[in-house]
Amino acid sequence: MKGWTGNILRINLTRQTFKKEHFDEAFARKWIGGRGFALKILWDELKPGVDALGPDNKLLVVLGPVAGVPMPNSGKTIVAAKSPLTGTYADGNIGSHVTIQLRKAGYDIVIFEGKAAAPEYVFIQDDKVSFLPATDLWGKGTFETHKVLEGKYGKTAGILSIGQAGENKVLYAVVRSMEGRAGGRPGIGAVMGSKNLKAIVVKGTKEIPMADPKAMKERGLADLKTVGAMDKKSQWSVQGTNAVLAWCNEMAALPVRNHRHSQHPEAWKLDGQRTSEARVATYGCPHCTMRCGIAILDKEGRESEIDYENVGMLGPNLEIFDLKQMASLNYMCDDYGMDTISAGATLSWYADAIDQGATRGDFKFGDAERAKQLARMIALREGIGDLLAQGSLKAARKVGNHSEAYAMQCKGLELSAYNCKFVPGQALAFGTSAIGAHHKEAWIITYELKFSERGAYGRDKAQKVVDLQRIRSSIFESLPICRFPWIELGWDLKNYPEYFNVATGSDWTLDDFTKTGDRLYALLKAFWTREHPDTDRTADYPPRIYFDPVIADKDGIIAGKHLELDKYDQLLDHYYDIRGWDKRGVPTRKTMNSLGLRQEAEELSKAAKVEQDVVPMGIPGV
Amino acid sequence: MKVRVRLIGQFMERFGFGEKELEVPPPCTAGQLAERLKMGRLDKVVTRRGLALGPDDALEDGDRLVIAPIFSGG
Repeated sequence: MKGWTGNILRINLTRQTFKKEHFDEAFARKWIGGRGFALKILWDELKPGVDALGPDNKLLVVLGPVAGVPMPNSGKTIVAAKSPLTGTYADGNIGSHVTIQLRKAGYDIVIFEGKAAAPEYVFIQDDKVSFLPATDLWGKGTFETHKVLEGKYGKTAGILSIGQAGENKVLYAVVRSMEGRAGGRPGIGAVMGSKNLKAIVVKGTKEIPMADPKAMKERGLADLKTVGAMDKKSQWSVQGTNAVLAWCNEMAALPVRNHRHSQHPEAWKLDGQRTSEARVATYGCPHCTMRCGIAILDKEGRESEIDYENVGMLGPNLEIFDLKQMASLNYMCDDYGMDTISAGATLSWYADAIDQGATRGDFKFGDAERAKQLARMIALREGIGDLLAQGSLKAARKVGNHSEAYAMQCKGLELSAYNCKFVPGQALAFGTSAIGAHHKEAWIITYELKFSERGAYGRDKAQKVVDLQRIRSSIFESLPICRFPWIELGWDLKNYPEYFNVATGSDWTLDDFTKTGDRLYALLKAFWTREHPDTDRTADYPPRIYFDPVIADKDGIIAGKHLELDKYDQLLDHYYDIRGWDKRGVPTRKTMNSLGLRQEAEELSKAAKVEQDVVPMGIPGV
Repeated sequence: MKVRVRLIGQFMERFGFGEKELEVPPPCTAGQLAERLKMGRLDKVVTRRGLALGPDDALEDGDRLVIAPIFSGG
């Protein structure tokens, strides 16, 4: 087998043991790597209903066949587990030296099982695994933790760590790497904390197996220059991802005041031009050609690395328009190791709930100092922070008083920073994202404006969501690799199967990835269904308040606009029809069989009703 | 006629302005405006009041147009 190492490192934290296992080429070709490997392993090895924060959940660190080679923007590592936030499969990708070091150590997959008796970190060095005490690191933030471990193991060591949020099992705690990278929004950091695992350090010295190492090296080095030159010419990296903020504000797609508004006259204070002017450093992942991490100084004078999602959610969403204060809040979330998107959305839900009279409290939109206090209380689970540590949906269910309607989440995971009240296709993308509302699964706002009709609910939008979920799931989450060169710079999508072929000696085309993407999405939804046997189509709805005229902007370019439930249901029918899922949104046995998931369909049918085939839905225009 | 043009992100950096007013001879389409700005070949979205314009869509006096590159999310 070429491209993959074929090796799994299984580590039991309870017993402090480890063993090397192997997977075969058929497994590798069916599931590719990254998300594919993690999903299949967690499907097979987790009992339905397992406590996500208990010792029986498993934490996976997973790579794929192009990890560790000099391919543009290939420095991504996948972390995965059952999520304590959504109660289903979850993953995230992180730029990290782990990507290179773990492959050099000889592994594609590491599975952490059990729970350490006391805080520890694990050091993987080729065939050796050491279980080391983390008593001195426990209670420290991710920046200090990284510095201590980097000082001990060197700058090129692969390091993943958690902060206090992970230790205290904040349900949206993330895993952090390289001081600025984060992944695992749906609480993978909390799973790591539940295992008393503070950090993972990796160093390797072996050759990474490639079908054609010479061709890989030559092409990789040439393309690193090519894509780097494309970025320089386009000047994308000058503003990076935060260029999106000004556009969302112009398009009325910005989350302002917990999505109650979609534009704000002060948004310019946080836009890409302002963050570019304030930049003091730029950061990227290994093998990066377009460094998107723009660091600015926060109110306390610390370097805070920002991108659009955290600016959007901690800025206009909370009506905080002081750039340095927003940066402070961002720094705190990063240091505590909690997701800035869910933190911003949970805080905005809280301010909204107080505004609406659903609960009592002393937090108002725009109060940056109180937001910072609350961030600390969440990470340490102090006072009201203990409630807010559970995310907006669980907190809303405890508070009641109809506050769940404006918990801006799908399947428990908070929406990234896009206001969908007049972009129904993006609402569908969030609603059907099988890990909860995440922009990494599908983002179609440009498509909705440029190639479709903005307020329409046509089948083309469902098709576009499916197309992107296929590509992002099978290529970008499973190789795994960063998507930015493809869309932002226009680097041809066919490059990705070509690299896969050079690595593995295959002759795959994009169609092969499309089919794998469908397999992954069917199994992702099967995983959700196995955990939630009574699921129905409402699980694929966006937040309810989007359907309420109360959410419509009172003025501006989309005044009076909101989503329409009957039309959204038609859009969802189109989506299910394209996917071959039933009207509840559950893959049918026929669909799963056609995707090579016969055994999984059988397994699913033990937990939930699985239709044999779709009943024609009578969708208008089909 | 006069139109205002707002550029987003890397277009600001490449073309050296964020927003400015332009005098264009009527009739003028969105495509002709892009050519005039030397942006004809670039992948982009041209919008007016939050709705996209095609290259043949006519501009009107007083329009404010937003021209953005293609994004994939933040």
